[in-house]
Parts: sequence; structure tokens; C-alpha cells
Amino acid sequence: MRLLVVEDNEQLAGLLTKGLQAAGYEIDVLSTIEEATSVLHTTFYAALILDLGLPDGDGLALLRDLRHRNNPIPVLVLTARSGLNDRVQGLRSGADDYLVKPFALEELIARLEAQLRRPGQLLGSSLRIANLEFDTRNRQASIDDQPQVLSARETAVLELLLRSKGRVVSKKQVEDHIFGHSGEVASNAVEVYVHRLRKQLSERGAKVQVHTIRGVGYLIAEEK
Amino acid sequence: MIRFKSIISRIVILHVVAVVITSIFMSLALSWLLNYATNNIHNKAMQEQAVSVGEHLTARSDGDLELDLPLDLLGLYSQPYGRYLYAVIDDRGRVLFSSLKDHAALFPADSESADVEFLQQRRGDATVSGASIKKTVGDKTVWIQAGEDLANRDVLIDDIVADFYRNVGWITLPILLVLLIADIAIFRRALRPLRQASEIARDIGPTRTDLRLPTEEIPREVRPLVLAVNQALDRLEEGFRIQRDFTADAAHELRTPLSILRTRLDILEDQQVGRALRQDVEGMAHIISQLLEIAELDAFVIDPFEKADLRSVAAEVAEFVAPLALAQNKDVALLGAAEPVWVKGNPEMLSRAIRNLAENAINHTAPGTTVEFVVEENGTVSILDRGPGIAEDERNLIFQRFWRRDRRKAGSTGLGLSIVQRIAELHSATITVENRSRAGARFSLKFSLLHL
Repeated sequence: MRLLVVEDNEQLAGLLTKGLQAAGYEIDVLSTIEEATSVLHTTFYAALILDLGLPDGDGLALLRDLRHRNNPIPVLVLTARSGLNDRVQGLRSGADDYLVKPFALEELIARLEAQLRRPGQLLGSSLRIANLEFDTRNRQASIDDQPQVLSARETAVLELLLRSKGRVVSKKQVEDHIFGHSGEVASNAVEVYVHRLRKQLSERGAKVQVHTIRGVGYLIAEEK
Repeated sequence: MIRFKSIISRIVILHVVAVVITSIFMSLALSWLLNYATNNIHNKAMQEQAVSVGEHLTARSDGDLELDLPLDLLGLYSQPYGRYLYAVIDDRGRVLFSSLKDHAALFPADSESADVEFLQQRRGDATVSGASIKKTVGDKTVWIQAGEDLANRDVLIDDIVADFYRNVGWITLPILLVLLIADIAIFRRALRPLRQASEIARDIGPTRTDLRLPTEEIPREVRPLVLAVNQALDRLEEGFRIQRDFTADAAHELRTPLSILRTRLDILEDQQVGRALRQDVEGMAHIISQLLEIAELDAFVIDPFEKADLRSVAAEVAEFVAPLALAQNKDVALLGAAEPVWVKGNPEMLSRAIRNLAENAINHTAPGTTVEFVVEENGTVSILDRGPGIAEDERNLIFQRFWRRDRRKAGSTGLGLSIVQRIAELHSATITVENRSRAGARFSLKFSLLHL
């Protein structure tokens, strides 16, 4: 899968290339908005990793131009700017995600994969933590490569948690995901399903833990 | 030397002095003029009387002089009336005729005198004032004196002169006082733009360096001062901006090399070494972020109409820091209000304040314990930990920039709480620090509720 990195710092660009290549991607590097604009016209890339401070202008200008021409390419913005309005402005200009320098390569790859796994994007649909794997195409969970049978709602909760790996999923999000916006939901319904899922996973030997963050939500992580 | 605190008081005092001096001098000058005028009239009248007495003076054939006054003049000079007097004196000083009982002269004889002289003479209790004219009748030269007893002088004229001083005083004083009041009003009006400028000047501070004093309505005399102050503010703002930009630029510039370092470590073969170095990079990245936040806060101007839901801000922060806490075998929990709590403030700023408190709490709370976020309906958010707590004498120190209890401890910049305090200041929020009954500290921020 080919990605375009637009970054004017040669050293950083080189290291990113190396790191992303190690993760299995093919990389093209450009350093100006002008070059990027013309190359994006003619070449298809799975995603764009865009630095904002470029020698011939602001990366956001390139981003706005892309979205203006209805180019849906996933764009991950790398920036040294972390000001109050920078993030909001970046996302409003059409960025899919926003990473402030310095970032962990692991984090960059995780965010990239989250983008590539979205509907219509290219990446395979397997979500994995430790020995737990979830195939989003047929919604099948497996532990140590053994397919597991879970109820529809347990499966829905598990999928949501795995898609938000490393982040907290609020109770409201789980509620909306399971029940949609239809009808009344018992106030402890989410807790009941999470409790059941937790029990199923531990009984079947999954080396993961579903944490409850009281008053906030849930988070799935590798068991320590 | 009297020193005046205000222009108005200076004007009032000087004006009062001027009013007093003017009214005294004006009265004196006017009454002098009036006296002069009445004296003139009196002298003229006396001269005329002397002339008319002289007209009735005739030389007899034997050379002696004869005075034959008509009845009306006799009445004028009669003893009972006693007001007007006359006398005729010859060149040897003898009194030829006199209306006086003792047949005396009104004024001492003076053979060297001019043709007309105005004289004054005390006679017993009375003062006689009048004129003496020289006249030749036949072959004799005589002096005809006519006078008026001042004690019996015309009452009307005397009253006018006597009252004049008082009357002039009564008239000029109110006029000048009215003028004074008008002057004060004019000045207050003229100074109003200065008062308005002062009100604007009051808001100028390190966080509001963009304000300038208005120059349009400032009086021309004061304008150079106002312009000079504005120029001084320009220079100060420039200084502030350079300092602020330097902090921000320096922090920005450090981020890219740090990214390079970080990425280099991430693709390092030996992950054992990489892990330790990555922590160092993260620590540096943290300092840079906080320096940038401080630089941004120093330049931040809060919009008074901004509002934030304290509950959802606290929930977002709790979501954000939860993975961090779990990684250290610690927990977070959000408690308190179930409904939105709307307060005045910038949501991102509130989020940064709460995040700094939360990160602090997670760093200090003991493993296996929970950091609690409590949002209350009165606009308070509290972060509670189970750490060592804050000693009484450290409670003011902890908010100082770069203060750390243990400087050897890695990962702490000593900037977090100063950011919290600055955000609290910007929002007029109060910070309270207290220790919990068993171990731990409780930091509370109380914001102003938004009244819908």
C-alpha cells in the first residue's frame, strides 16, 4: 500500500519512510505543496501524511484544495502547532486526524490504520489485541485463532471497544452503538452487556481486560 | 508653595483669588471715580457761588466796597441754614464781608494765590470746603470765598457715595461667582475625554497590550502626552510580543528535532535502550508543550461570552487521561453532577486546567488507588488523589513556575500548576488546595456559573 508523506525536513522524512516501510507500507516523500498538488492529481495514494509548515506555504491550504476537489484520501496531519485553535482549524480544513510533534511511530501507524480500516478504505479488517482477534467483515471474534461464539450485543460491544483501542469509549457511545436511537434503554443495560462480555472473554482465556472507568466509560487493553 | 492635586482645584482657588482681588479693586476704583466726580461738582458749584457773590460786589464812590446780596442769596447764606458760607477778604487780609457769625474768613488769606483755588479748612467741629477766587472791583483786589459745611452736605450724594462700595461688592461678587461656576463646568467638560482615556488605561496589562488611548477627542494641549503614552505602549507591546514569540518559536523549533529523535528511537534495533530514551524524549516534549501553553496563555484574551459545560469537559479529560492512569495501574473515576454544568469560560482552557490537575494527581496517587473527578452543580470541579498530600507551607509555592518538591524526580516540569493558576486567573476562578482526611490532596477550581 502506497502512502504519500509531505514533509520538508529531510531527516524526519527519511526516518518516517524507514519506520513506515518496516510496517509494510511503500512511501513517496515530497517536500513542497506545489509538488504534492501535481502528484496527487495523477497518482493514487492510500493515505497522505501531511506536515503543516512547508517551505512554499501552509499544508492546510493543500488540504483545503484537496477537499475542494472532492478527493476523499485519508489525511493525517503532523504539526508542531498545538495552539487552542490549531487542532479545530486542522480538523475543519478536512484532516482526518491530527498528531502533534513529537509523536510515537507506533501511534502514527495505529492512527493511520484506524483511517485505512474505515469503510471504503483499503486496509484489511482484522482488529487485534494480544491473543484476541476480530474480523470486521464477518464480525467474527477468535481467541488463539479459535473462532468464538458471542451474542450479537456482546459482539457489538467488543467491536466498538477494539475499534477504539487505547482510547476510552463512553457509556453513551456504547449505548448508541448497541441500541441505536430507538426506544428506552434500561440505565444499567450497558453495564450488563459489558459485564457479560468481560466474563466470556476471561472464561475463554483471552489475555485482554475490559476496564470500567467509573462515570466515564470503558477501555480494552492487554492484560498485565 | 501650595501644590494642587487637580487642575479643577487649581482653577477654583486661583479664580477665587482673582474674584476677591477684582471685586476689591473694582469697588475701590469705582468709588474713587465717584468721589472724584462729586468733588468736581462741589468745587464747580462753590466756584460759581463765589462768582455770583462777586457779581454783587460794587465799589462805592468813596472807594469802599459794598455787598448787596439779593434775597435768594441771603437765604442761602443765612445763619439758620448754615450750610453754605461766604467771605470777602481784601489784599491786606481784612475780612470785608462774611456770612459767619464771628465775621471771620473761611480760609486763611493768601495774597500769592492763583485766580481760582479750591480749599478745605477745619472750623471747630465742622470742615468747610470751598473755592476762593481773585477779583478786582474798582481799584481793589479782593478774594471772594464760598464754602460748604461738609457736615451739612447734600445727604443724597453722600448716601450714594457711602453705599457705593457695598453695592458694587454685592453686584460684582455674584457675577464673578457665576463666572467661576461656568468655568468649572467648561473645564470638567473639556477634561471628560481624559477621564475616558484613564478608564481605558486601567485595563492595560500584560494580557491586554493591544489597547491604546483614544486621541480623537483629547484636547490639543494634552494630545502630545497621550500620543507619547501610546507610542510607549507600542514599544512595550513589541517587547512583550518578541518575548512571547521567542518562547513559542523556540518551543516550536524544538519539536521537529525532537520528532526526529523520537522516530529514530522508534526504529532502533535495540528496543531495550530505546525504551529508556523514549521516556526522556517524552519528558522533553512535555516541557515544550507546557512552555507553549504558557506562552499562549500569556497572550490569551478571554471572550466574556464563551461558555463551557464543566461536566462534559471533565468527562473528556477523564477519558483522555484514563489510559495513562491504567498504564500505571491506577484508576480514574468521574463523580458528581449528572446534568451539564454551564460555566463562563473557554472550554479548551478549562480542559487544560483540569488535565494538568489530573496528570498531577495521577503522578502522585499511590498505585492501585483512584483519582476522582468531582463536578458540582455550583460550578466547582475537584480532583482528588491518594498521594502524599500538600504540606501547609507548600500550598503557595506549588503554583510558582518551575517549582518542584523534588527536583531530582524526573517527569515533572513544575509548570503544570502554574498553568492551572493562570487559567483560573483568566476566568476569575478560585483554586483551593486541601488535604483529604486519610492520605491525599484535593484541588478544587470554582468557576462562575452561567446564568441562562
